[in-house]
Amino acid sequence: MSVQTAVVLAAGEGTRLRPLTRNRPKPMLPAANRPILEHVLDALVDASVRHIVLVVGYRRERVQEHFGPTYRDVSLEYVVQGKQLGSGHALLQAREVVDGPVLVVNGDRVIEASSVRDVAGAYEEGSAAAAIAVLEHPDTGQYGAVTLRDREVADIVEKPDTDEYRLINGGVYAFSPSIFDAIAETPREAGELALTDTLSRLLDSERVRGVHTQGLWVDATYPWDLLAVADEVLARGRVAEPLRGDRVWVHDEATVHPDATLRGPVVVGPDSEIGPGAVLGPTVSLGGNVTVGPNATVERSVVDIDARVDAGSTLRDAVLGGGVHLGAATTIPGGPADVRVGSRVFESQRLGAVVADRTQVRGGASFAPGTLVGPNVTVGPGVHVTGTVSEGAEVVR
Amino acid sequence: MCGIIGCVGRDDGTLETLVHGLSKLEYRGYDSAGVALTGPGTGLDICKRAGEIDDLRDGLAGRTLSGTVGVGHTRWSTHGPPTDENAHPHMDCAGNVAVVHNGIIENYQPLRDELTRAGHTFTSDTDTEVVPHLIEDALEGGPDPEEAVRTAISRLDGSYAIAAVVAGHEVVFAARNDSPLVLGIGDDALYLASDVPAFRDYTDRVIYLDDGEFARLDGAWTVTDAEGTVVEKPVDTVDWDPEETGKSGYDHYMLKEIHEQPRALRQCLRGRVDELGGAVDIGDLGDLSPTGVQFVACGTSYHAGLYAAGLFRAAGVPAQAFLASEYASGVPPTGDALVVGITQSGETADTLSALREARRRGARTMAVTNTVGSTAARECDHAFYIRAGPEIGVAATKTFASQLAALNLLALATAGGDARDIVPALRDLPGDVQAVLDDSTAPAVAETYEDAPAYFFIGRGLHYPVALEGALKMKEITYKHAEGFAAGELKHGPLALVTENTPVFAVVTGDGELARKTVGNVKEVEARNAPVVAVTDGASDVERYADHVLEIPETHPRAASVLANVQLQLVSYHVAARLGRSIDKPRNLAKSVTVE
Repeated sequence: MSVQTAVVLAAGEGTRLRPLTRNRPKPMLPAANRPILEHVLDALVDASVRHIVLVVGYRRERVQEHFGPTYRDVSLEYVVQGKQLGSGHALLQAREVVDGPVLVVNGDRVIEASSVRDVAGAYEEGSAAAAIAVLEHPDTGQYGAVTLRDREVADIVEKPDTDEYRLINGGVYAFSPSIFDAIAETPREAGELALTDTLSRLLDSERVRGVHTQGLWVDATYPWDLLAVADEVLARGRVAEPLRGDRVWVHDEATVHPDATLRGPVVVGPDSEIGPGAVLGPTVSLGGNVTVGPNATVERSVVDIDARVDAGSTLRDAVLGGGVHLGAATTIPGGPADVRVGSRVFESQRLGAVVADRTQVRGGASFAPGTLVGPNVTVGPGVHVTGTVSEGAEVVR
Repeated sequence: MCGIIGCVGRDDGTLETLVHGLSKLEYRGYDSAGVALTGPGTGLDICKRAGEIDDLRDGLAGRTLSGTVGVGHTRWSTHGPPTDENAHPHMDCAGNVAVVHNGIIENYQPLRDELTRAGHTFTSDTDTEVVPHLIEDALEGGPDPEEAVRTAISRLDGSYAIAAVVAGHEVVFAARNDSPLVLGIGDDALYLASDVPAFRDYTDRVIYLDDGEFARLDGAWTVTDAEGTVVEKPVDTVDWDPEETGKSGYDHYMLKEIHEQPRALRQCLRGRVDELGGAVDIGDLGDLSPTGVQFVACGTSYHAGLYAAGLFRAAGVPAQAFLASEYASGVPPTGDALVVGITQSGETADTLSALREARRRGARTMAVTNTVGSTAARECDHAFYIRAGPEIGVAATKTFASQLAALNLLALATAGGDARDIVPALRDLPGDVQAVLDDSTAPAVAETYEDAPAYFFIGRGLHYPVALEGALKMKEITYKHAEGFAAGELKHGPLALVTENTPVFAVVTGDGELARKTVGNVKEVEARNAPVVAVTDGASDVERYADHVLEIPETHPRAASVLANVQLQLVSYHVAARLGRSIDKPRNLAKSVTVE
């Protein structure tokens, strides 16, 4: 592949994923038990990209600390987007450190190397000013909807109201260096520069290849989507830990008691401990340094780094943030439920509860299906929690 | 304290390899730097400058140095001020021999007198310059260069890691006594340096030289003892990633290393704690059951020693911490005590000499260090690694956190005590440190007090060493006056220093007796109108008397010390950043001090 430089847009918070983004940007949320961004970088490295520029902004220390100066022997360069003023503005920040043609990818969606290779290959055929990945998606209204004519992009519309579209912009692009001038010349909309606005303008004068990609492509829009993302990632075995049984992956530095039961797919991260009698799975992702106490039961859940699930707890369809502590005999019985976010209601979501970073639950508490709990909340013993609980609250009976 | 490097086999890349290596060794000294190159059939090309590596680069910009073999040096002055003349490499009268040296040659004055009488002319104030002249002397009469270098080395007393090249010969010679020296074995090239990061980008295979050994690097490597007998040396593999030596988006290594503490603590604890079993496992070391412990250390490591002595005493084992430089000059009775040297680099000269003195008196010794293969690790009966990964910033941050975690493990495993409370707190520690990093209000505190003429830090029990360390960090990187006190000592003197312009940082956690007493001391300070910054978990009422609060998560008191220290690191960092200090390389300081 001759395009060897990639810019990864990883500066945005992802506000719709609050409260999970309290301490980190969306690219650092877990896809199973690794950050989404790690999957993105894997795709780039597997596609032979040799130089990666990360545009960071919101809570950028979390990205910088996790990846450091190189990833899988590929050098990483960090560029800071001080204010998050759109994807075009983000890309513009990388202008000084990039020369020659460049790949651009969103850092907050799991993609596959084949998509990167296909887009780079189409660009390298040399007939178009840019190439972008397109894919079929049932929910075009959430994304940039695309229509193709022959193999070229005819139209691109951000979050259309109609359901006439079938294809969306996959967020994988190849550009010539002239893209930076094109962005700079694009008028701002409400102070922001969206990359798709520049692309639409480009369509008036240039040819843009649309590359139909088939590979894994998963995105989380709302916190409970992390469960579906984990389903996909585990189903394809996209985990870093060694295989220990039928779709059971356990890190070398994790401790699983011989009397614990792991029903695949299950992944257990480094330094984690699983107590006797615990039953994990199917579809459970544990990050690093997680403790699951004796006789706890965990099904279809994502449990992030440093979380602690004490003895006798039951979790189903749960997303636990980093450092969450569930005391003994906590119960999250699982979905489906109607989830209320602000004034919107999402009906029949398969969600037990989302519990954000460092919330402490004292034991014997239970969570109504569809509960959203903010970070640093304290839940007293035996409380039944429902609805939405905001950051730092103390919930008592 | 200096850093040396040498390489052979890099052909046209020799100069670049040397300069790159020096930049990786800059933490060992940065008041002058230089390189010398030669090759078959060519003379000696040399360039050296007072100042940082960048000044050397400027000096090289207008010149072409050629050669396929060379040595380089980055200096931290011990003999003579930082000038171009005193920078290494040093040469003989004829300009055919170039030498770089780390350490102190104790008999340099008589050697210099002797050489001067014999007609040699010296151009620097350094002790090192005697070495090239000794080699020049030995070369007369035509023995081969190796024999000449050996003869010169045999005349030296003191501590040294020395590398030398002789014009026209594609060989680097090196010798070690009491100063670190490691060889790097690449596929097509060979390296030597004071520390592995100098050549880690080219190879991960290393040979640690021992005192009295002599190395010859040409197409192959040979290590011999003082008599010239070949020594079989094991080739070790280092597992440090070169990736860990870039700044990755941070303004300073210090801030990067502060943010790396959760990761460093995870590595320190990995495989050593078993929460569900309520136990710690540190291998064979766990079988030691010392009847007494003496910690010897310097600087930040000494504060870790004070903390550790507290842990052992709490478990009923008599324990004390000593400043290594004082210990060596008046060794206390050791009895059956285990003598534990705490040294990040494993090369701290004061700590090494304290450990040697203890050993000479028959004590068992242990090194608690970050550096596998370091002199301390090899010389002691036992070595316990803190696994913090490389630390580049001169001011120690993550290695202090990892020392505290490691020393908790050591105390639990060897002195006993109930691990069931502490192990969960240790496993929570990486996440708790992350919580401090995510939410710290230290930047605001720094902004408020950046102009203060002095800063005071108080703590009690295990928080006393934290107060000392908080003050040391502030001194090191802000160049401001800062002192740490045991909270109860304040009223016995230091309170006279406290004014409305001197912020007092009080570390208060829990709401037990210690906390209540410290809150009493805070009231004494508040009554003198001094601004109070409380570092607290919110359990006591100290916040009522504080102008600012730096919050830490509630946890076991032992873990609270680590968390409180992170807040104080951040305050010092942000004050220094606002003042525009040279944070990673503060004036007059070097990372690991290999002179006494």
